[in-house]
Amino acid sequence: MNHTKQNFWTKYVFATDHKVIGKQYIITGLIMALVGGYLSYVFRMQLAYPGQSIPLYGDMGPQQYNAFITLHGMIMFFWFAMPILLAGFGNLFIPLMIGTDDMAFPTVNMISFWIFFVSTIVLMVSFFLPGGAAAGGWTMYPPLSITAHQPTFWGSFFTGQTFLLLAVALEFVSMLMGGINFLTTTINKRAPGMTAFRLPIYVWFANLAGIIFMFSVGPLIAGAFMMLLDINMGTGFYDPYRGGDPILFQHLFWFFGHPEVYVLLLPSLGVTAEIISTFSRKPIFAYKTIIYMALIASVLSVIVWAHHQFISGIDPRMATFFSVGTILISIPFAAIILSYLATLWGGSIRLKMPMIWTIAGIGSFLIGGLTGLFLGSDTFDIYAHDTYFVIAHFHYVLIPVVIFGTFAAIYYWYPKYFGRMLNEKIGKIHFWLTFLSFHAFAFPLFFSGLQGEHRRIADYSSFDSLMTLPIQHIRIISTIATIILISSQLLLIINVFWSYRKGKVAGRNPWEANTLEWQTDSPPQHGNFEVYPEVYRGAYEYSLPDRTEDFYPQNEK
Amino acid sequence: MKIFPDNISTYGQEIDDLFYLILIFVSIAFLISIIALLIPLFRKREKAAYFTGDKWVHLKWVALPLTLLAISDFIILAKEHGTWARIEEQIPQADVHIGIIGRQWNWVFVYPGQDNELNTSDDIVVDEQNSELHVPVNKNIVIDIRAKDVLHTVTIPVLRFKQMAIPGRTIMKWFQATKPGKYEIQCSEICGLLHSRMRNFLAVEDENDYKKFLSELYQQNKQLENSLVSSK
Repeated sequence: MNHTKQNFWTKYVFATDHKVIGKQYIITGLIMALVGGYLSYVFRMQLAYPGQSIPLYGDMGPQQYNAFITLHGMIMFFWFAMPILLAGFGNLFIPLMIGTDDMAFPTVNMISFWIFFVSTIVLMVSFFLPGGAAAGGWTMYPPLSITAHQPTFWGSFFTGQTFLLLAVALEFVSMLMGGINFLTTTINKRAPGMTAFRLPIYVWFANLAGIIFMFSVGPLIAGAFMMLLDINMGTGFYDPYRGGDPILFQHLFWFFGHPEVYVLLLPSLGVTAEIISTFSRKPIFAYKTIIYMALIASVLSVIVWAHHQFISGIDPRMATFFSVGTILISIPFAAIILSYLATLWGGSIRLKMPMIWTIAGIGSFLIGGLTGLFLGSDTFDIYAHDTYFVIAHFHYVLIPVVIFGTFAAIYYWYPKYFGRMLNEKIGKIHFWLTFLSFHAFAFPLFFSGLQGEHRRIADYSSFDSLMTLPIQHIRIISTIATIILISSQLLLIINVFWSYRKGKVAGRNPWEANTLEWQTDSPPQHGNFEVYPEVYRGAYEYSLPDRTEDFYPQNEK
Repeated sequence: MKIFPDNISTYGQEIDDLFYLILIFVSIAFLISIIALLIPLFRKREKAAYFTGDKWVHLKWVALPLTLLAISDFIILAKEHGTWARIEEQIPQADVHIGIIGRQWNWVFVYPGQDNELNTSDDIVVDEQNSELHVPVNKNIVIDIRAKDVLHTVTIPVLRFKQMAIPGRTIMKWFQATKPGKYEIQCSEICGLLHSRMRNFLAVEDENDYKKFLSELYQQNKQLENSLVSSK
């Protein structure tokens, strides 16, 4: 490690230190979450009060509505969830957890962040292009995504869709570089004694997520490239009148899009494992089983993509295959969740903020996971496809994972990276507001979906059956809850800044945890450890019967 | 508030029943898991028990629920596959064969001409905003679904009917409606600016009304043809 003196630029901007890069990813991701949240506020207001001027925005037309739902989905997936859960946390935790000084390729790491940053700029610029941002839905299904924009004065290149594809491509390049860096680091730079089955589960899951991402992203990059050619060069990959096929894109998109959910799920489930074990003071239940189950789920995740296409006229026998595969994914995932529940049993539970977020996350995720059974069934999907039932389902999968998981991690690891504890009182208010408003926003949508409310409609007034009072009430409740959900995040921002100055000083290991990141200073110095650790045991040796202390750091002899 | 809108198709009830079957399984699973999650939080313990869960004795606490889950998965799959096969794999003999074409932003209906066959030269195309698709009650209606410009999805909630319309393809689907009335046809695939306005109606009529509608349609069409010929 190069410990030469650093100036402002090499320390904070073009930093090669994984801790700084991790923070850069997380800060950018959180800012993008605010953008994505703002978009959802605007279109939820339009749904609840169609045609009225929206405070903090103004009048909304169908074009903006389509653009906002498109960009909300894109931003929350690729510019909030991925950079935070995978790139951000991966950078912060992996080198420390495996006991090394930095990533295997620090400079590549720095470059991948800046590529990601450029992708963010490209995406934001797309809002201000003459034709507006991309408006073909976040799934970008052709032919609409190809034809939605009329070529402008500068040709079809300067349209929202082209910029979106460009931004996505840059983002994926960045994440690919990051994923390779994680793998190389984990394989080559582990501390002595850190065998595969002594790794913390987060390290396992982040690497698995990186592998799934690498396997699945190729086809989508190819698909996006063909779309760029279709838009800008007049080719016809997806145009049936030129020998193409719109369904081709759907396969390429979902071959990536379905595993992508697991790319997000796994790091968050890894965070859950760390926290649940530490705050139950117990070894994680069936460590190896969890890892094997995650491997099985990862493999299955890559072969069930076409369950997103049950109603696009695929061969009925093929649909049966995808339906069976999808429903069977419930088994490995249930095994992981059951192991977490079993970890709680017999534990001496400390209900601190990270644990509260984790418990709430698991409980809410159960609803998301179980409702997946309805949609995995091809027969019921005939009815539920593209309704708000689907929206409720995936928000119940993603919000407990992405948002609750992120908050759990922030509350857990903040002391490590800033040297002070976050305030628990503000934390509790923040938690209850977020938790309750999330359920108030998402749960009613199951009902409006079952009533037949289909998604991506800017104004339901054309449909008498969807203008009944119960459904309109649901729209309003959901919108108000969204506003509370978004605005209560101010408390987190306040907490982060207040605690940075005034929080309780943390010390090395405030939670009395075993993993290596807690065995160095808070915040860790450049290079992470004064003496490089040697590892003697697994990551979850809590409450060993013959020890007085209930934790046993991995590097303690 | 009812859970589903009324059902007027022959296979709709099976889809609803499947929903309730899955609902029972997931509710039980949810309740058990939530209780298992909450109980330990209310039990105060000074020192945690030490078990790693690597022994088979311990693993039964995971294996048992998993087996139950696997059994419910297979019950769901067995139940749903029968319905899926009946709806998607076996298209019955058509009593009426009709075409639906999605275009931005209207559903276009194609009726067979007097030869009673679709895709012949005397087909009659109705392309008007808010027009109605007329079908007779209690008959097998087979539909050719197509799209002209972008993807659309024919959605008729009361029939539990949904099918994506794809440019370049013709997809055959069927239903049988059991109750006369007027119902909405929606588009549930985002299809551009006026996607929200893409709404038509399905008019389910008894045999006589349907015949009357057809003969009026033929007559109008003839007049239209005549006026076109004379204007030449």
